[in-house]
Amino acid sequence: MQSYWFGDVCDGRCKVFTGDTQAIIDRVQSIFTSMDSFVPPEWDQAVVCGACRDRQEYLARLQAVCIAAAERSVRDQYSRKDAELLQMVRTLDEIDTVVNLLSEKAAEWYIIRHPAFSRKYRRISANILIKTIREKSRGALGNVAMEIEQLAKTRTALAKEVSARANEVMPNTSALIGGLVAARLMSRAGGLFPLSRLPASAIQVLGARTALFAHLKTRSPCPKHGIIFQHRRVHNAPKEVRGKVARVLSGKLAIAARLDHFRGIAVPEFLTTAQERIDAAGKMSKP
Amino acid sequence: MIWIGNVLVSQGEGGVYNERMVGGARVWDPYRSKLSALYHVGIGVDLKPGMRVLYLGAANGTTVSHVADYVEVVYAVEFAPRPMQDLLEVCRRRKNIIPIMADAGRPEQYAPLVEAVDLLYQDVAQPDQAAIALRNCPFLKNGGILILMLKTRSVDMSKDPAEVFLDTIEVLTSSGLIVKECVWLAPFHIDHAAIVCTKPEV
Repeated sequence: MQSYWFGDVCDGRCKVFTGDTQAIIDRVQSIFTSMDSFVPPEWDQAVVCGACRDRQEYLARLQAVCIAAAERSVRDQYSRKDAELLQMVRTLDEIDTVVNLLSEKAAEWYIIRHPAFSRKYRRISANILIKTIREKSRGALGNVAMEIEQLAKTRTALAKEVSARANEVMPNTSALIGGLVAARLMSRAGGLFPLSRLPASAIQVLGARTALFAHLKTRSPCPKHGIIFQHRRVHNAPKEVRGKVARVLSGKLAIAARLDHFRGIAVPEFLTTAQERIDAAGKMSKP
Repeated sequence: MIWIGNVLVSQGEGGVYNERMVGGARVWDPYRSKLSALYHVGIGVDLKPGMRVLYLGAANGTTVSHVADYVEVVYAVEFAPRPMQDLLEVCRRRKNIIPIMADAGRPEQYAPLVEAVDLLYQDVAQPDQAAIALRNCPFLKNGGILILMLKTRSVDMSKDPAEVFLDTIEVLTSSGLIVKECVWLAPFHIDHAAIVCTKPEV
């Protein structure tokens, strides 16, 4: 017997399926077809069945069913908890880039107006410099500086939201590496499910694509860490053990991502042992 | 295929992706569409009005819309939700595109929907492109045609594209397909090749 969207066909006889569009979608999803013995459906079978009158109606009904099914799948995928977090963290990183680029341009502009000004030997952070520019400049430059400050405020607020949302969506991963970095890992992998399917070695170098492919193609050394470098555990570790910390951390992150995807709640037993193991890796001195 | 001078076009309602119109027909840009590039650098397959096509890797429905202008019906398979939204918009305006949101590597998921087709067109960014094509061959009529747009960089980043190309042809021929044409799509698409095969009549 072959089961198709419009009904079951067996030895030239046909049993029509009656139900609305949603019922047909459920039916199609529940049918298990073996490709070895598969015979494609024919539209005239559907006519014999009484599912439709002619070819035109066959295609029209099939299209209606397929459009509804695709709409449903899109909606399902977008309603997952990680879908919005992904867009949030990508927007956040984009704002970072924009703020940095604009600040640099504003600083260059300011120097033209004040030839005696130099940042050398003065510890001025970018946001203080922008504040100075806003206060001391009139017209367009002052406005640009004001917009940069505004954008920086938006960025800070968004970063807090990303962090909070990540703690909720991926509690285990966030506990190990912080909400922001956890969200960035997820965004680079393309979602929580794809992240949970990655091996630890891939998580370790996620975000170090250029270095990784340079390593694969030439003889350059392989990267020790990608995005996970952003966490203090990795970048504060002594240089000799940094690679080791990154490896142990990514091993635990791979487990954490799976827990987040399949259980969706924090698992304290796992977290305590994982934290201890990662801390131990950072303390170990080379023999 | 319809050519106006040396511009490939298709007859249909315009404005799908702000494509240029020439003499009331839609210009099919070889730099955007790999299938159009195939018609520019090689022979390809003449798309006829009665044809049924299974299109794997439909993406935003840009090339799909041109194919649908020529043939009777296109079954368009796409996996990702974002391009699917655009594809659905194209489907609402064209009666002969059937959108299917599924993984082209798992044809059993959409088998109850797709009838036997004359042309199987594949353009997916996956490492096992030859295997995906073979898995979808049960939909292809005997004597039907497979066009595989091989993205060599998706198969293996570190391998030489020419090597990937030869390996893929080897896999296709050893499973009984007859290779009719294989061309690189340069200068329109770099490291992409088109392989045209027929499924033997038995």
